[in-house]
Amino acid sequence: MEYVDSWRAVAAATGAADRSAAEDGVRLAYRSAGLAEPEEFVWADSPRAAVGLVRKLNDAGRSVREEVRTRPWAEERRRMYDELGPAGWSALWSATGAQLWETTAALAERIRAGVVAERTEPGELAERGEPPEGEAEVLQPEDESEIRLLLLDAVLGQHDAAWLAAFDGRGDRLDGLAAVARNAGWWWPYERTVVISERPEALHRDEAGRLDRGDGPALSYRDGFALYAWRGMPVPADFLAELTALTPERIRAEENAELRRVMLEFYGYDRYLTESGAEPVHRDETGILWRIALDGDEDVVMVEVVNSTPEPDGTYRTYWLRVPPTTRTAKDGVAWTFGLQGESYAPVRQT
Amino acid sequence: MYRQGDVLIVALEESAVPPNLLDAPGELRDGRGRLVLALGEVTGHAHAVPGPGRLIREGGVFGPMLLHLPDGGRVVHEEHAVIPLPKGWFRVVRQREYAPGAVRIVAD
Repeated sequence: MEYVDSWRAVAAATGAADRSAAEDGVRLAYRSAGLAEPEEFVWADSPRAAVGLVRKLNDAGRSVREEVRTRPWAEERRRMYDELGPAGWSALWSATGAQLWETTAALAERIRAGVVAERTEPGELAERGEPPEGEAEVLQPEDESEIRLLLLDAVLGQHDAAWLAAFDGRGDRLDGLAAVARNAGWWWPYERTVVISERPEALHRDEAGRLDRGDGPALSYRDGFALYAWRGMPVPADFLAELTALTPERIRAEENAELRRVMLEFYGYDRYLTESGAEPVHRDETGILWRIALDGDEDVVMVEVVNSTPEPDGTYRTYWLRVPPTTRTAKDGVAWTFGLQGESYAPVRQT
Repeated sequence: MYRQGDVLIVALEESAVPPNLLDAPGELRDGRGRLVLALGEVTGHAHAVPGPGRLIREGGVFGPMLLHLPDGGRVVHEEHAVIPLPKGWFRVVRQREYAPGAVRIVAD
Protein backbone atom coordinates (compact mmCIF):
# COMPACT_ATOMS: atom_id res chain seq x y z
CA MET A 1 0.00 0.00 0.00
CA GLU A 2 2.88 2.36 0.71
CA TYR A 3 3.78 2.24 -2.97
CA VAL A 4 0.32 2.97 -4.30
CA ASP A 5 0.38 6.70 -3.63
CA SER A 6 3.69 7.20 -5.39
CA TRP A 7 2.43 5.24 -8.41
CA ARG A 8 -0.82 7.18 -8.30
CA ALA A 9 1.32 10.29 -8.70
CA VAL A 10 3.30 8.69 -11.56
CA ALA A 11 0.08 7.88 -13.44
CA ALA A 12 -1.09 11.50 -13.14
CA ALA A 13 2.32 13.14 -13.69
CA THR A 14 2.54 16.01 -16.17
CA GLY A 15 5.39 18.14 -17.48
CA ALA A 16 8.56 17.56 -19.40
CA ALA A 17 10.09 14.10 -19.36
CA ASP A 18 13.49 13.53 -17.78
CA ARG A 19 14.87 12.28 -21.07
CA SER A 20 18.19 10.97 -19.88
CA ALA A 21 16.63 9.12 -16.91
CA ALA A 22 14.00 7.63 -19.23
CA GLU A 23 16.63 6.56 -21.78
CA ASP A 24 18.69 4.95 -19.01
CA GLY A 25 15.55 3.09 -17.97
CA VAL A 26 15.00 1.83 -21.51
CA ARG A 27 18.63 0.63 -21.75
CA LEU A 28 18.24 -1.19 -18.45
CA ALA A 29 15.00 -2.81 -19.63
CA TYR A 30 16.75 -4.03 -22.82
CA ARG A 31 19.72 -5.41 -20.86
CA SER A 32 17.40 -7.12 -18.35
CA ALA A 33 15.68 -8.79 -21.31
CA GLY A 34 19.02 -10.03 -22.63
CA LEU A 35 18.95 -7.67 -25.62
CA ALA A 36 21.53 -5.27 -26.97
CA GLU A 37 20.80 -1.67 -26.01
CA PRO A 38 18.92 0.34 -28.66
CA GLU A 39 21.09 2.51 -30.93
CA GLU A 40 18.73 5.42 -31.27
CA PHE A 41 16.06 7.30 -29.28
CA VAL A 42 13.46 9.35 -31.13
CA TRP A 43 11.41 11.67 -28.93
CA ALA A 44 7.87 12.76 -29.76
CA ASP A 45 5.75 15.45 -28.13
CA SER A 46 2.68 13.22 -27.73
CA PRO A 47 1.46 9.68 -28.37
CA ARG A 48 -0.19 11.05 -31.52
CA ALA A 49 3.12 12.38 -32.81
CA ALA A 50 4.86 9.16 -31.74
CA VAL A 51 2.47 7.08 -33.84
CA GLY A 52 3.31 9.29 -36.82
CA LEU A 53 7.03 8.73 -36.24
CA VAL A 54 6.64 4.98 -35.76
CA ARG A 55 4.83 4.75 -39.10
CA LYS A 56 7.80 6.38 -40.81
CA LEU A 57 10.48 4.12 -39.26
CA ASN A 58 12.17 1.95 -41.86
CA ASP A 59 15.32 0.56 -40.28
CA ALA A 60 14.29 0.09 -36.67
CA GLY A 61 14.22 -3.70 -36.57
CA ARG A 62 11.37 -5.76 -35.17
CA SER A 63 9.26 -4.81 -32.15
CA VAL A 64 10.77 -6.17 -28.94
CA ARG A 65 7.83 -5.28 -26.73
CA GLU A 66 7.24 -8.95 -25.96
CA GLU A 67 10.80 -9.45 -24.58
CA VAL A 68 11.14 -6.06 -22.93
CA ARG A 69 7.77 -5.73 -21.28
CA THR A 70 5.26 -8.53 -21.67
CA ARG A 71 7.38 -11.58 -20.87
CA PRO A 72 9.16 -10.14 -17.80
CA TRP A 73 5.83 -8.88 -16.51
CA ALA A 74 4.15 -12.27 -16.97
CA GLU A 75 7.05 -14.11 -15.37
CA GLU A 76 7.13 -11.78 -12.38
CA ARG A 77 3.41 -12.20 -11.98
CA ARG A 78 3.78 -15.98 -12.07
CA ARG A 79 6.64 -15.88 -9.57
CA MET A 80 4.65 -13.78 -7.12
CA TYR A 81 1.50 -15.84 -7.63
CA ASP A 82 3.45 -19.02 -6.77
CA GLU A 83 5.01 -17.31 -3.77
CA LEU A 84 1.84 -15.72 -2.38
CA GLY A 85 -0.83 -18.18 -3.49
CA PRO A 86 -4.13 -17.22 -5.14
CA ALA A 87 -5.55 -15.42 -2.09
CA GLY A 88 -2.27 -13.63 -1.37
CA TRP A 89 -1.89 -12.46 -4.95
CA SER A 90 -5.49 -11.34 -5.04
CA ALA A 91 -5.04 -9.39 -1.80
CA LEU A 92 -1.86 -7.78 -3.10
CA TRP A 93 -3.47 -6.78 -6.40
CA SER A 94 -6.53 -5.47 -4.61
CA ALA A 95 -4.36 -3.30 -2.33
CA THR A 96 -2.12 -2.01 -5.11
CA GLY A 97 -2.86 -2.28 -8.82
CA ALA A 98 -6.64 -2.47 -8.48
CA GLN A 99 -6.64 0.96 -6.81
CA LEU A 100 -5.18 2.54 -9.94
CA TRP A 101 -6.45 0.23 -12.66
CA GLU A 102 -9.82 1.74 -13.54
CA THR A 103 -8.69 5.33 -13.86
CA THR A 104 -5.45 4.65 -15.74
CA ALA A 105 -6.96 2.04 -18.05
CA ALA A 106 -9.80 4.42 -18.91
CA LEU A 107 -7.35 7.25 -19.54
CA ALA A 108 -5.15 5.10 -21.80
CA GLU A 109 -8.20 4.01 -23.77
CA ARG A 110 -9.30 7.62 -24.22
CA ILE A 111 -5.83 8.53 -25.49
CA ARG A 112 -5.92 5.62 -27.96
CA ALA A 113 -9.34 6.69 -29.21
CA GLY A 114 -8.14 10.29 -29.51
CA VAL A 115 -5.07 9.28 -31.51
CA VAL A 116 -7.13 7.09 -33.85
CA ALA A 117 -9.68 9.87 -34.38
CA GLU A 118 -7.09 12.55 -35.11
CA ARG A 119 -4.79 10.35 -37.16
CA THR A 120 -7.60 9.50 -39.55
CA GLU A 121 -8.87 13.04 -39.98
CA PRO A 122 -8.64 14.87 -43.32
CA GLY A 123 -5.50 16.83 -42.37
CA GLU A 124 -3.52 13.66 -41.99
CA LEU A 125 -4.73 12.24 -45.28
CA ALA A 126 -3.87 15.48 -47.06
CA GLU A 127 -0.40 15.35 -45.52
CA ARG A 128 0.10 12.02 -47.22
CA GLY A 129 -1.12 13.36 -50.56
CA GLU A 130 -4.60 11.94 -50.30
CA PRO A 131 -7.05 14.85 -50.46
CA PRO A 132 -10.14 14.37 -48.30
CA GLU A 133 -13.20 13.51 -50.34
CA GLY A 134 -15.90 14.57 -47.95
CA GLU A 135 -16.87 13.32 -44.57
CA ALA A 136 -17.92 9.84 -45.62
CA GLU A 137 -14.37 9.10 -46.78
CA VAL A 138 -12.58 10.53 -43.76
CA LEU A 139 -12.25 7.26 -41.90
CA GLN A 140 -10.03 4.88 -43.81
CA PRO A 141 -10.60 1.45 -42.29
CA GLU A 142 -7.14 0.17 -43.27
CA ASP A 143 -5.45 3.23 -41.72
CA GLU A 144 -7.52 2.93 -38.60
CA SER A 145 -6.65 -0.69 -38.01
CA GLU A 146 -2.97 -0.01 -38.68
CA ILE A 147 -2.98 2.79 -36.14
CA ARG A 148 -4.83 0.65 -33.61
CA LEU A 149 -2.20 -2.07 -34.03
CA LEU A 150 0.61 0.44 -33.56
CA LEU A 151 -1.05 1.70 -30.41
CA LEU A 152 -1.19 -1.86 -29.08
CA ASP A 153 2.58 -2.07 -29.64
CA ALA A 154 3.19 0.71 -27.14
CA VAL A 155 4.54 0.28 -23.66
CA LEU A 156 2.39 2.68 -21.67
CA GLY A 157 5.07 4.18 -19.43
CA GLN A 158 3.37 6.19 -16.70
CA HIS A 159 0.03 4.56 -17.55
CA ASP A 160 1.40 1.14 -16.65
CA ALA A 161 1.44 2.42 -13.05
CA ALA A 162 -1.20 -0.04 -11.82
CA TRP A 163 0.82 -3.18 -12.37
CA LEU A 164 4.15 -1.53 -11.61
CA ALA A 165 2.63 -0.63 -8.21
CA ALA A 166 1.81 -4.29 -7.60
CA PHE A 167 5.37 -5.41 -8.38
CA ASP A 168 7.17 -2.54 -6.65
CA GLY A 169 9.56 -3.58 -3.90
CA ARG A 170 9.46 -7.27 -4.83
CA GLY A 171 12.45 -7.63 -7.10
CA ASP A 172 14.59 -5.64 -9.49
CA ARG A 173 13.71 -7.28 -12.77
CA LEU A 174 11.24 -4.55 -13.77
CA ASP A 175 13.38 -1.62 -12.63
CA GLY A 176 14.03 -0.48 -16.19
CA LEU A 177 10.32 -0.35 -17.03
CA ALA A 178 9.62 1.42 -13.74
CA ALA A 179 12.31 4.02 -14.43
CA VAL A 180 10.82 4.84 -17.84
CA ALA A 181 7.34 5.06 -16.30
CA ARG A 182 8.54 7.54 -13.68
CA ASN A 183 10.17 9.77 -16.27
CA ALA A 184 8.26 9.64 -19.56
CA GLY A 185 5.09 8.75 -21.41
CA TRP A 186 4.32 5.95 -23.87
CA TRP A 187 7.15 4.26 -25.76
CA TRP A 188 7.67 1.89 -28.66
CA PRO A 189 10.61 -0.52 -28.36
CA TYR A 190 12.21 -1.82 -31.56
CA GLU A 191 15.53 -3.64 -31.93
CA ARG A 192 17.54 -0.58 -32.93
CA THR A 193 15.22 2.36 -32.31
CA VAL A 194 12.98 3.46 -29.47
CA VAL A 195 10.26 6.02 -30.11
CA ILE A 196 9.29 7.64 -26.85
CA SER A 197 6.68 10.26 -25.99
CA GLU A 198 6.66 13.18 -23.63
CA ARG A 199 4.09 13.21 -20.83
CA PRO A 200 1.01 15.46 -21.00
CA GLU A 201 1.42 19.14 -20.18
CA ALA A 202 -1.88 19.25 -18.35
CA LEU A 203 -4.29 16.73 -16.87
CA HIS A 204 -7.54 17.76 -15.20
CA ARG A 205 -9.69 15.17 -13.44
CA ASP A 206 -12.57 15.15 -10.99
CA GLU A 207 -12.47 13.49 -7.60
CA ALA A 208 -13.46 10.16 -9.12
CA GLY A 209 -10.42 10.37 -11.42
CA ARG A 210 -12.38 11.00 -14.62
CA LEU A 211 -11.21 13.51 -17.22
CA ASP A 212 -13.02 16.73 -16.40
CA ARG A 213 -12.62 20.35 -17.41
CA GLY A 214 -15.18 22.97 -18.35
CA ASP A 215 -12.96 25.66 -19.87
CA GLY A 216 -10.32 23.90 -21.93
CA PRO A 217 -8.80 20.52 -22.69
CA ALA A 218 -8.87 18.02 -19.82
CA LEU A 219 -5.70 16.43 -21.19
CA SER A 220 -3.18 18.21 -23.39
CA TYR A 221 0.27 17.56 -24.80
CA ARG A 222 2.81 20.17 -25.88
CA ASP A 223 2.15 19.65 -29.60
CA GLY A 224 -1.53 20.46 -29.17
CA PHE A 225 -2.88 16.90 -29.04
CA ALA A 226 -5.74 17.21 -26.55
CA LEU A 227 -8.83 15.53 -25.18
CA TYR A 228 -11.92 17.38 -23.99
CA ALA A 229 -14.25 15.92 -21.40
CA TRP A 230 -16.77 16.90 -18.80
CA ARG A 231 -16.93 14.51 -15.81
CA GLY A 232 -15.47 11.80 -17.98
CA MET A 233 -17.80 12.29 -20.92
CA PRO A 234 -15.98 13.17 -24.16
CA VAL A 235 -17.22 16.46 -25.62
CA PRO A 236 -16.24 18.41 -28.76
CA ALA A 237 -13.73 21.23 -28.14
CA ASP A 238 -16.03 23.97 -29.44
CA PHE A 239 -18.87 22.71 -27.25
CA LEU A 240 -17.04 23.91 -24.15
CA ALA A 241 -16.73 27.45 -25.47
CA GLU A 242 -20.50 27.60 -25.62
CA LEU A 243 -21.02 26.45 -22.04
CA THR A 244 -20.25 29.80 -20.46
CA ALA A 245 -23.07 31.49 -22.39
CA LEU A 246 -25.82 28.92 -21.76
CA THR A 247 -29.47 29.79 -21.24
CA PRO A 248 -32.35 27.50 -20.23
CA GLU A 249 -33.74 27.96 -23.77
CA ARG A 250 -30.47 26.82 -25.35
CA ILE A 251 -30.41 23.77 -23.06
CA ARG A 252 -33.98 22.84 -23.99
CA ALA A 253 -33.15 23.29 -27.68
CA GLU A 254 -30.13 20.93 -27.65
CA GLU A 255 -31.13 17.77 -29.46
CA ASN A 256 -28.22 15.56 -28.39
CA ALA A 257 -29.35 14.13 -25.05
CA GLU A 258 -25.79 13.47 -23.84
CA LEU A 259 -24.67 17.00 -24.54
CA ARG A 260 -27.85 18.39 -22.99
CA ARG A 261 -27.00 16.51 -19.78
CA VAL A 262 -23.54 18.05 -19.78
CA MET A 263 -25.10 21.48 -20.32
CA LEU A 264 -27.45 20.91 -17.40
CA GLU A 265 -24.64 19.84 -15.10
CA PHE A 266 -22.46 22.75 -16.16
CA TYR A 267 -25.24 25.30 -15.88
CA GLY A 268 -26.21 23.95 -12.48
CA TYR A 269 -29.41 22.08 -11.76
CA ASP A 270 -30.27 24.58 -9.04
CA ARG A 271 -29.99 27.54 -11.39
CA TYR A 272 -31.89 25.74 -14.09
CA LEU A 273 -34.62 24.81 -11.63
CA THR A 274 -34.97 28.40 -10.47
CA GLU A 275 -34.90 29.98 -13.91
CA SER A 276 -37.19 27.46 -15.54
CA GLY A 277 -39.73 27.84 -12.74
CA ALA A 278 -39.64 24.16 -11.71
CA GLU A 279 -41.67 23.16 -8.67
CA PRO A 280 -40.53 20.64 -6.07
CA VAL A 281 -42.33 17.31 -6.35
CA HIS A 282 -41.86 16.09 -2.79
CA ARG A 283 -40.24 17.18 0.42
CA ASP A 284 -39.33 15.27 3.59
CA GLU A 285 -36.68 15.11 6.32
CA THR A 286 -34.01 13.83 3.90
CA GLY A 287 -34.37 16.57 1.29
CA ILE A 288 -36.42 17.80 -1.66
CA LEU A 289 -37.30 15.93 -4.85
CA TRP A 290 -37.34 17.88 -8.15
CA ARG A 291 -38.43 16.87 -11.63
CA ILE A 292 -37.62 18.50 -14.98
CA ALA A 293 -39.52 17.25 -18.02
CA LEU A 294 -37.47 17.23 -21.22
CA ASP A 295 -38.85 16.78 -24.72
CA GLY A 296 -37.73 13.54 -26.31
CA ASP A 297 -35.79 12.37 -23.25
CA GLU A 298 -36.59 10.87 -19.89
CA ASP A 299 -37.33 13.30 -17.06
CA VAL A 300 -34.46 14.54 -14.96
CA VAL A 301 -35.33 13.69 -11.35
CA MET A 302 -33.08 14.93 -8.56
CA VAL A 303 -32.89 14.98 -4.82
CA GLU A 304 -31.70 18.18 -3.21
CA VAL A 305 -29.76 17.35 -0.09
CA VAL A 306 -28.18 19.59 2.53
CA ASN A 307 -24.66 18.56 3.56
CA SER A 308 -24.53 17.53 7.21
CA THR A 309 -21.16 19.08 7.96
CA PRO A 310 -21.04 22.89 7.92
CA GLU A 311 -18.54 24.68 5.69
CA PRO A 312 -15.76 26.65 7.42
CA ASP A 313 -17.96 29.78 7.33
CA GLY A 314 -20.80 27.99 9.14
CA THR A 315 -23.08 27.67 6.10
CA TYR A 316 -24.36 24.35 4.81
CA ARG A 317 -23.68 23.29 1.24
CA THR A 318 -26.64 22.10 -0.79
CA TYR A 319 -26.10 19.56 -3.54
CA TRP A 320 -28.15 17.70 -6.09
CA LEU A 321 -27.99 14.05 -7.00
CA ARG A 322 -29.73 12.62 -10.02
CA VAL A 323 -31.89 9.56 -9.27
CA PRO A 324 -33.98 7.24 -11.48
CA PRO A 325 -37.02 8.90 -13.08
CA THR A 326 -39.35 6.47 -11.26
CA THR A 327 -38.41 7.96 -7.87
CA ARG A 328 -41.45 9.31 -5.99
CA THR A 329 -40.14 10.73 -2.70
CA ALA A 330 -36.99 12.51 -1.55
CA LYS A 331 -36.23 9.73 0.91
CA ASP A 332 -36.59 7.06 -1.78
CA GLY A 333 -34.16 9.09 -3.87
CA VAL A 334 -31.50 9.44 -1.16
CA ALA A 335 -31.91 5.76 -0.23
CA TRP A 336 -31.45 4.79 -3.91
CA THR A 337 -28.09 6.59 -4.00
CA PHE A 338 -26.92 4.06 -1.42
CA GLY A 339 -28.60 1.06 -3.03
CA LEU A 340 -31.40 0.91 -0.45
CA GLN A 341 -35.21 1.10 -0.35
CA GLY A 342 -36.65 4.26 1.18
CA GLU A 343 -38.10 2.48 4.22
CA SER A 344 -34.74 0.99 5.22
CA TYR A 345 -32.76 4.26 4.99
CA ALA A 346 -32.35 5.70 8.49
CA PRO A 347 -28.89 6.97 9.48
CA VAL A 348 -28.56 7.52 13.23
CA ARG A 349 -25.68 9.90 12.65
CA GLN A 350 -24.57 11.96 9.63
CA THR A 351 -21.59 14.23 9.07
CA MET B 1 -26.59 3.09 9.96
CA TYR B 2 -24.10 5.97 9.75
CA ARG B 3 -23.33 8.37 6.98
CA GLN B 4 -20.18 10.37 6.34
CA GLY B 5 -20.56 12.35 3.13
CA ASP B 6 -20.76 9.95 0.20
CA VAL B 7 -20.19 6.84 2.31
CA LEU B 8 -22.91 4.93 4.18
CA ILE B 9 -21.92 2.47 6.92
CA VAL B 10 -24.64 -0.05 7.75
CA ALA B 11 -24.41 -2.26 10.86
CA LEU B 12 -24.70 -5.99 10.10
CA GLU B 13 -25.44 -8.97 12.30
CA GLU B 14 -22.47 -11.30 12.29
CA SER B 15 -24.84 -14.03 11.07
CA ALA B 16 -25.45 -11.94 7.92
CA VAL B 17 -21.76 -11.92 7.00
CA PRO B 18 -21.02 -14.48 4.26
CA PRO B 19 -19.21 -17.33 6.08
CA ASN B 20 -16.30 -17.34 3.62
CA LEU B 21 -15.61 -13.68 4.47
CA LEU B 22 -15.55 -14.05 8.29
CA ASP B 23 -11.85 -14.88 8.19
CA ALA B 24 -10.98 -13.46 4.79
CA PRO B 25 -7.74 -11.48 4.59
CA GLY B 26 -8.35 -7.77 4.92
CA GLU B 27 -7.26 -4.89 2.72
CA LEU B 28 -3.82 -3.49 3.42
CA ARG B 29 -3.62 -0.18 5.27
CA ASP B 30 -2.47 3.01 3.62
CA GLY B 31 0.85 4.77 4.23
CA ARG B 32 -0.64 6.36 7.37
CA GLY B 33 -1.74 3.00 8.78
CA ARG B 34 -5.45 3.52 8.06
CA LEU B 35 -8.14 1.38 6.49
CA VAL B 36 -9.36 3.42 3.52
CA LEU B 37 -13.11 3.09 2.86
CA ALA B 38 -13.09 5.55 -0.06
CA LEU B 39 -10.42 7.80 -1.52
CA GLY B 40 -10.74 11.01 -3.51
CA GLU B 41 -8.52 10.53 -6.56
CA VAL B 42 -7.46 14.16 -6.87
CA THR B 43 -7.45 15.67 -3.36
CA GLY B 44 -6.36 12.43 -1.70
CA HIS B 45 -8.99 13.05 0.99
CA ALA B 46 -10.15 9.73 2.41
CA HIS B 47 -12.94 8.23 4.48
CA ALA B 48 -10.74 6.11 6.73
CA VAL B 49 -10.62 4.09 9.95
CA PRO B 50 -7.37 4.69 11.87
CA GLY B 51 -7.63 2.07 14.65
CA PRO B 52 -7.75 -1.72 14.84
CA GLY B 53 -10.11 -3.55 12.49
CA ARG B 54 -10.34 -5.19 9.12
CA LEU B 55 -11.75 -4.13 5.78
CA ILE B 56 -12.82 -6.84 3.35
CA ARG B 57 -13.58 -6.08 -0.27
CA GLU B 58 -16.41 -8.14 -1.68
CA GLY B 59 -15.67 -7.22 -5.28
CA GLY B 60 -15.09 -4.31 -7.60
CA VAL B 61 -13.04 -1.22 -6.95
CA PHE B 62 -16.00 0.77 -5.62
CA GLY B 63 -17.21 -1.85 -3.20
CA PRO B 64 -19.28 -3.08 -1.56
CA MET B 65 -16.98 -3.70 1.37
CA LEU B 66 -17.34 -5.20 4.81
CA LEU B 67 -15.79 -3.55 7.85
CA HIS B 68 -15.10 -5.50 11.03
CA LEU B 69 -14.36 -3.52 14.18
CA PRO B 70 -13.92 -5.99 17.06
CA ASP B 71 -13.40 -3.13 19.52
CA GLY B 72 -15.37 -0.38 17.81
CA GLY B 73 -13.63 2.55 16.17
CA ARG B 74 -14.14 5.80 14.30
CA VAL B 75 -14.35 7.03 10.72
CA VAL B 76 -12.41 10.16 9.87
CA HIS B 77 -12.30 12.45 6.81
CA GLU B 78 -10.54 15.74 6.11
CA GLU B 79 -13.81 17.58 5.50
CA HIS B 80 -16.36 15.76 7.64
CA ALA B 81 -16.82 15.36 11.40
CA VAL B 82 -15.59 12.11 12.97
CA ILE B 83 -18.17 9.33 13.37
CA PRO B 84 -17.68 6.91 16.28
CA LEU B 85 -18.75 3.33 15.54
CA PRO B 86 -19.69 0.58 18.01
CA LYS B 87 -17.99 -2.80 17.79
CA GLY B 88 -19.27 -5.24 15.19
CA TRP B 89 -19.63 -5.78 11.45
CA PHE B 90 -20.64 -3.14 8.92
CA ARG B 91 -21.33 -2.93 5.21
CA VAL B 92 -19.70 0.10 3.59
CA VAL B 93 -21.67 1.54 0.66
CA ARG B 94 -20.38 4.25 -1.67
CA GLN B 95 -22.95 6.76 -2.85
CA ARG B 96 -23.95 6.58 -6.50
CA GLU B 97 -25.80 8.82 -8.89
CA TYR B 98 -28.19 7.96 -11.66
CA ALA B 99 -27.09 8.58 -15.22
CA PRO B 100 -29.31 7.38 -18.05
CA GLY B 101 -27.94 4.06 -19.22
CA ALA B 102 -25.34 3.94 -16.45
CA VAL B 103 -24.76 4.55 -12.78
CA ARG B 104 -21.93 6.75 -11.58
CA ILE B 105 -20.30 6.94 -8.20
CA VAL B 106 -20.44 10.25 -6.39
CA ALA B 107 -17.27 12.07 -5.47
CA ASP B 108 -17.79 14.58 -2.65
